[in-house]
Amino acid sequence: MPLLDLGAAIAIGLSYFTIIYLTGLGGLFSERSGIVNIGLEGLMVIGTVMGAWGGVRWGPVAGLLIGAVAGLLFSLVHALATVTFRVDHIVSGVVINVVAVGMARFLSTQFFGSATQSTSGVPDLGKIDVPLLSALPAGLGRAFENLSPVVLVAFALTFPVVFILRRTRFGLRLRSAGENPEATRALGVRVAPLRYAGVAISGTLAGFSGAFLSVEVNQLYQEGQTQGLGFIALAALILGNWSPTRLMLGALLFGFAQAVPLRLDDAPVLSLLPEQFIRMIPYVVTIVAIAGFVGRVHPPAAVGKAYEGAGGA
Amino acid sequence: MTTATAPVRARPAWMDVVGTQVLALIAALVFAGLVGGIIIALYDESPLTVYGTVWDFSTARSQDFARVLENATPLIYSGLAVAVAFKAGMFNIGVEGQYLVAMVTATTAAVGLDFLPAPLHLPAVLLAAVAGGVVWAAIPAILKVRTGAHEVVTTIMMNGIAISLLAWALLNPLRTSERGLVDLRSDRFADSALMPSLPSSLGLEDAIPASVHLTWLFPLALVACVAVWVVLFRTRLGYEVRAVGSSAGSAETGGISVGGTQLKIFLISGALAGFVGLNHLLGEAGFLGQNYETGLGFAGIAVAFLGRNHPAGIAVAAVLLGMLARGQDGLAVTTDLPREILIILEGLLILSVVIAYEIARRVALRRRQREVRAEEDRDAAA
Repeated sequence: MPLLDLGAAIAIGLSYFTIIYLTGLGGLFSERSGIVNIGLEGLMVIGTVMGAWGGVRWGPVAGLLIGAVAGLLFSLVHALATVTFRVDHIVSGVVINVVAVGMARFLSTQFFGSATQSTSGVPDLGKIDVPLLSALPAGLGRAFENLSPVVLVAFALTFPVVFILRRTRFGLRLRSAGENPEATRALGVRVAPLRYAGVAISGTLAGFSGAFLSVEVNQLYQEGQTQGLGFIALAALILGNWSPTRLMLGALLFGFAQAVPLRLDDAPVLSLLPEQFIRMIPYVVTIVAIAGFVGRVHPPAAVGKAYEGAGGA
Repeated sequence: MTTATAPVRARPAWMDVVGTQVLALIAALVFAGLVGGIIIALYDESPLTVYGTVWDFSTARSQDFARVLENATPLIYSGLAVAVAFKAGMFNIGVEGQYLVAMVTATTAAVGLDFLPAPLHLPAVLLAAVAGGVVWAAIPAILKVRTGAHEVVTTIMMNGIAISLLAWALLNPLRTSERGLVDLRSDRFADSALMPSLPSSLGLEDAIPASVHLTWLFPLALVACVAVWVVLFRTRLGYEVRAVGSSAGSAETGGISVGGTQLKIFLISGALAGFVGLNHLLGEAGFLGQNYETGLGFAGIAVAFLGRNHPAGIAVAAVLLGMLARGQDGLAVTTDLPREILIILEGLLILSVVIAYEIARRVALRRRQREVRAEEDRDAAA
């Protein structure tokens, strides 16, 4: 197998990693606060369509920001349903996903005149070469050429996220709301605002991640372009045991699994499989990883449970 | 101290529950209608005209209502599939993939078993569809029971695999040998594999043209509703399913095998999912092509939530969503509104209904708690 292909596969894998990691980090904030958010996929969908619209009108930076804000606003529906009205988290998340698809069709008709896609050529941020790494020999350097700057942002985001969760008052309280809301309340801290914040951060990051997909990766909005990556992000979160650094490893694994069908279908063994079977690889990898690891991880103790304190406070 | 002479309970408890839920449903419908009306008004259209159009296009002629029932047919099956799993506390988000695989297995039987005598061919095709749905549901179900892998994530992944599997089957084993075809599709099915049209069986061809693909799968869907009701509320399995769904821990303590129950009901869910794509496959197209309908599994989630996971509610909700789908055609004719506005309305409706039911449940619960407390007070006083 030529290393050139491997380099190109890594480059594609890094794009997918970024999508999965950003969305997964969002899910991490939500679940650490105690709210399961399987609506991540839907929040990403909103991010793709709003991001592409913002990108076409005001440029890529605006597109990414608008995607993030749209994700934030839409996630408040989930927060309202689960925190305030104490609807089952998965029910609400499923509804978010169903509604998001309809909403995206509606918005796409309004923005682009077609329910299913925008015209291609949404402007992007411009690509960068990573110093040193892009000079790697034998084609491997290609992996680090022509990258979206957002990929580096995603990696860098790990530091503030770890700091916020481990060292700040907000981070500690957020985690306590997800582990033991009764104790949190007993210490005089209100649970509901923390959970709203957790969900809002998840919406912001998922929306941003969706906008990254439409603006930076595809330069196009297309219905269904999220391909279940929001769910794969959830799988990465489970695999990563709800820790940011381990989530990064999970996102790398799933990101590269996504790249295999696109670039490595000529590799030995793989080339014997029909194209459609190679396309199944990311999904099979996800199922195997989840089934193999789920017994060995520990979700936040109170995740998915409504806090029944007075008025949900 | 509460009133010493407590009022005699005029109504049984279940009537309270049903009453609260009906009230909640009406409140949610009104709320969604109002918010939807505001959106429509922003487009300078009259909400009443729009809702009137949806109603007219769905009910004006018998063929319009037949179209609504055609739309509702797959939704009833997918709604039931989601609901039975939900009753055991599980989410079958994989109905989508299960019916795609069922279409592949049904096509295989329709094309491959055409040597069967005519009366056996269609049942064999239906059985093959059920088997396809069951097998595709079995994988996440077994993984859930054995390893604890959450079915929401695994079924979504199974959906992705199913899409590729169908594409592969269509390109290779099922591809028609007819030459000169641009479209990728299977062989045409023999008539004995097709689902007979309901109007022509009932002698209604004059009122309902052949372009309406209302088949015997619709009455069969209603039979499925009754069957699901019987299983859920009149059998031991149904009791166990509901016990597991309301509290897995208590069910286990009570001697119910949680994993076994979940596995069984998930397979039933997959079997129901097997029927979702059949109206299109056996009632309309007569072959497996690339233009099969997608998204019916996800629509089933909406149907199940709207119908409160009850078979009767599901039938009603499926007809309601069938009307909204039919109404989209009407809007294109009579207004300048984008047809997608009804998808927004549908989303609003689902959200309001889910929240309204939850509020109603809590109100009913609180009322019950108050009554129990009052009774205890009375007993203590006596």
